[in-house]
This record gives sequence, structure tokens and C-alpha cells, in this order.
Amino acid sequence: MAAGELEGGKTLSGLLNALAQDTFHGYPGITEELLRSQLYPEVAPEEFRPFLAKMRGILKSIASADMDFNQLEAFLTAQTKKQGGITSDQAAVISKFWKSHKTKIRESLMNQSRWNSGLRGLSWRVDGKSQSRHSAQIHTPVAIIELELGKYGQESEFLCLEFDEVKVNQILKTLSEVEESISTLISQPN
Amino acid sequence: METTSEPPLDAKSDVTNQLVDFQWKLGMAVSSDTCRSLKYPYVAVMLKVADHSGQVKTKCFEMTIPQFQPQLLATSSLLSASNFYRQFKEIAAVIETV
Repeated sequence: MAAGELEGGKTLSGLLNALAQDTFHGYPGITEELLRSQLYPEVAPEEFRPFLAKMRGILKSIASADMDFNQLEAFLTAQTKKQGGITSDQAAVISKFWKSHKTKIRESLMNQSRWNSGLRGLSWRVDGKSQSRHSAQIHTPVAIIELELGKYGQESEFLCLEFDEVKVNQILKTLSEVEESISTLISQPN
Repeated sequence: METTSEPPLDAKSDVTNQLVDFQWKLGMAVSSDTCRSLKYPYVAVMLKVADHSGQVKTKCFEMTIPQFQPQLLATSSLLSASNFYRQFKEIAAVIETV
């Protein structure tokens, strides 16, 4: 029985989910044989392979172009008309999948393309210091901030910083400049 | 991610550093080999920090706009909101009262 005929929407949905985990979210261990035996056990491996490649290719094209719903419909319609393309039932399943998983996939693509560390977390507390390590001043409040940073696929690194009130306000001023810059960028027409 | 000020910070790093310099830029990721249509702005930060011995290190990281301040983008999802800017405002408000 051909993979395309064996369709239950749920099975293809499951396949797309697994493909997304493997291709975008970096989930390990998702092999072709695992997918075939779990989802399409009655399909021969030689038949399953091109079917899987086709679905993966379609998903990658949609994600790469960050298709909106109009583009998606046009693209999937074209796929149904192709020789060796997809059925309209399959197109419907793919469309539904993209609509519900688009944001998460996009976020993974963004994370994958960031080669610097990303900000994973920020924690802080304020201490009222009675004695300062760095000067003779007493009763100097100090903010202790811990940044959790990490590169894609790597363990977090923690950076602990100490700020006095003056420093905090300096940073705040800098951050307001960042905000202004962002607002200017966003308000500009693309 | 937690944004409360109340729970005591149990720092995972042994060393506390002083901030020597804070540089930033606003970038726009346009396209990549895995995604032709990335189109997302991000804030890149370069920190210069000094430890107790005075040794200066550079630390770079990036934030998405929602991580910096969710309200700036209409489409922000609150799931990844570290809200960098708002947390500094909170720190400033608290440190003023201590």
C-alpha cells in the first residue's frame, strides 16, 4: 500500500510533528526507521523514504519562506497539481499543522541562527550593604544581578554582576536609548 | 521566567563582577541558510566586566525585542519575556528605597 494512500490525518500530523522536532527543534534520535515503524508500519522502507523526503522538503520550504496563509494556500495547491505531489487531504493536514506550529518553529529558527549567547534568564536582589568591599562607605545599597546566558544547544553560563545605585541608573539611561532605537525601527515602514 | 523581586537570589556563579562598560546595538536578522525569511530585530549587548582581581572580560549576548520589552511589539508572545528593561526599572525603584 502506498504511503500516500494510507492516510489518516492523524498519522500525517504525527509525522509532521516528528519532522519538526528533528529539523527545527533539535530533538535527537528521530530516525527514518523509527518514524516508519511507529507511524507507517505497513509501508515498505523504499517507499517510505521518498515520502518522508517529500514531506520534510515541503515543511522546510514553508518554514524558510515564513509563509503567510495566502502564500501557504498557493504553495500547497501547486503541490497538489504536481506530478508525484501531495493529495488535497495531505495539503489540508499540512496547512493545519503550519498554522498551529508556525510560531514555535519560527522561534527555533531564530534560536538556531543566533550564534552568540542568548539571554535565558535574569534574577536579581538588592542588598543593603553595611560595609563595602571597594570603599570605606557604609550603608551602600547594592543590586546583585545574575544573567543566565547560553548558546544554542549548550549549557547555560551564569554571570553575576554587582551594581550600586549610580550604576543602575546609568544602565537605565542606556536602556532607554535602546528602547528609543527600537521604537524608531518599528515605526518605520518596511 | 520569574520576574518577582522577593525570592532571595541564590547565585549560581561564584564570582561577582563589576560592570565596566555596556555597549549595545540593534540588529536585524534578515536571512540565513536555514531560513530565507528571518526578518527579526534583536538587541546585541557587549559587557565588559571586572572581577575582584581587576581582570576584565568581555561577555556578549543577544536578546529578542520581546525579551527586552514585550510591549514594544504587538505580536510578542509573553512566553519568552525576560523583560530586561522592566526588571532594571524595578531594581532602580527598589534600590532607591533601601
